[in-house]
Amino acid sequence: MKLIEILKVAIAAIWAHKLRSALTLLGMIVGVTAFVTVVSLIQGFNVYIDEKIAGIGAKSFSVQRFNPFEDFKDTDTIAAAQRRNKELTMQDYDFIKERSALIAKLGAKARGTPSQIKRNDQVLDDVFVSGATANTADIENRNIDNGRFFTDTEADGAARVAYVGADIATKLFPAGNPIGGEIEIRGLPYRLIGVEAVKGTVFGIPQDNFIVIPLKTYELDFGPLVRQRSLYFTATSKTDETFNDAVEEARYLMRARRKLGPNEKDNFGIVTPDAITGLRDRIFGTVFIVAIAVPFIALVVGAIVIMNIMLVSVTERTKEIGLRKSLGARKMDILKQFLFEAVTLATIGGAVGVLLAWVVGKVVTATFFPTYLSIFAILGALAASGGMGIISGIVPAWKAARLDPIEALRADT
Amino acid sequence: MTEATVATSPRTAIFGKPDLASADGKAEILIAMQNIWKTYDMGSEKVHALHGVSFEVHRGEYLAITGPSGSGKSTLMNLIGCLDTPSQGDYWLNGKNVSEMDDDELARIRNQEVGFVFQTFNLLARATALHNVELPLIYGGIPGARRHEMAKQALTEVDLVDRMMHRPNELSGGQRQRVAIARALVNHPSILLADEPTGALDTATSYDIMNLFEKLHEEGNTIILVTHEHDIAARAHRVISIRDGLIEKDEQIK
Repeated sequence: MKLIEILKVAIAAIWAHKLRSALTLLGMIVGVTAFVTVVSLIQGFNVYIDEKIAGIGAKSFSVQRFNPFEDFKDTDTIAAAQRRNKELTMQDYDFIKERSALIAKLGAKARGTPSQIKRNDQVLDDVFVSGATANTADIENRNIDNGRFFTDTEADGAARVAYVGADIATKLFPAGNPIGGEIEIRGLPYRLIGVEAVKGTVFGIPQDNFIVIPLKTYELDFGPLVRQRSLYFTATSKTDETFNDAVEEARYLMRARRKLGPNEKDNFGIVTPDAITGLRDRIFGTVFIVAIAVPFIALVVGAIVIMNIMLVSVTERTKEIGLRKSLGARKMDILKQFLFEAVTLATIGGAVGVLLAWVVGKVVTATFFPTYLSIFAILGALAASGGMGIISGIVPAWKAARLDPIEALRADT
Repeated sequence: MTEATVATSPRTAIFGKPDLASADGKAEILIAMQNIWKTYDMGSEKVHALHGVSFEVHRGEYLAITGPSGSGKSTLMNLIGCLDTPSQGDYWLNGKNVSEMDDDELARIRNQEVGFVFQTFNLLARATALHNVELPLIYGGIPGARRHEMAKQALTEVDLVDRMMHRPNELSGGQRQRVAIARALVNHPSILLADEPTGALDTATSYDIMNLFEKLHEEGNTIILVTHEHDIAARAHRVISIRDGLIEKDEQIK
């Protein structure tokens, strides 16, 4: 019997019991939907981080007071790091900048402060204002939509100029060009010189609600660059090949400046893109397993439901099986018929699940967080549901195939 | 080794493969039942449903097998229809020894050599008449277009081609049985095996169906009718009566 004939019979049988088939598939659909949604969330997160790193510059690293991956493991390491590590200073910055041979650009930044921004009677609260050197625009690959970032001259002269996120510009300057306009940050007047391209929302947090001002201006207007305004450096290497060497050079220079002995721990932290992806993989390795395991259980439950219904179906159709056998169906023909029915049923469930997951993904992407549905996840889900179909169909199909034709023909159904 | 086998089953030596091209001018032998036993193992005791039945059927015969319930006629019918194999003895169907075949070979013989007609029609409820008739051809591996043509021809034979797109529930009892007969005929089997074909029909319809069998017989089909109704059996040309697992009477009535 040809495959296409078997498939036709299978689809006809499923179609004949539409409601039952739909109810049977509920578990499968929920399982696949959850499975694919979780995978697309995780992949979306991975893609997001990769893009973030690409945005920062895959070949850039930062030097800061703490190493978040080493120092923030538990309360003991935090306490130890707080005793050991000292704030970075502009003298540290100059020290590295003067001596380094492998670093292409070294920028300095200070952590931001939520501040009130005004223009005429427009007031914005809790806008994140931070200070930076002029070269950080290049190091971080800032995507400037309108105007420009501030220059070295403006930075050195502690000019009151502001580079703002897209939200700030649209809210304070609903009409007309914001460039050159005057805004008030904490009651002091600044000139708006540039607007960044829209970045959207991640984890429900808007990414376009920030202002960057020159580091010196920040220190003057906000206070010394310590604690909540802690200073940190960002750097790029001269070539991709010497990236790790540049990181080691920065570490060596910092240790030399801090006069650390060979057995002493770093009293500063260096964060590389590898460390970020490494952390992501560590966290998500575990999350991934758990997040996959739960929908997988739903999938198994779905498979058991299909097996149960297939067993009922075989019992119901005993007479049909007897008839088919009397007309010349061999064991394999009957086996294939019921196996195909189970696999087709399960795969339909998988396809509906993928479709639902795609819709869920679209909604999540629009409202909350970028998701990414890969063709690999789609094919994987379909293969998994088809496989579940085989597992759940084999026992009922075998039961049907080995029915005695005489007994089967005599059945009451 | 060969001698030992012959010694333990002497009947093969006695009967053997029937001479198909009979010399006496009669039609060839289609069915040869040679000392057929059927024993069921009912746990503690063995029940003999058939004990040593032998007969021959020539091509083109119209035969009725009758007997009361429990006589063994259903068992015999299952054996003739290749749904089962005998415990002992040889069954030759169209020159092939069926008694030694495995399940898949039996399925193939059923598909090629036997056309079943059941008391309760046994049509697929959700399929059209045409599809029901096509069913044996599907298992016979006949391609779609040819299948369609053959099924249509079989439905023409039973005068139902205008209803071929109807489902069983849109047909009367007699029409359903005619679809079932078309299904039995479609593969041009050696024998048409009908199990109480009028058992679920009223008298008038029964006569229609019996007339159809008569017509099919006149066209050269070999028909075996299993029934416990004497007036139905009387329509056949030869009647074999079974009682207690043995042939009680085997008479040519026409």
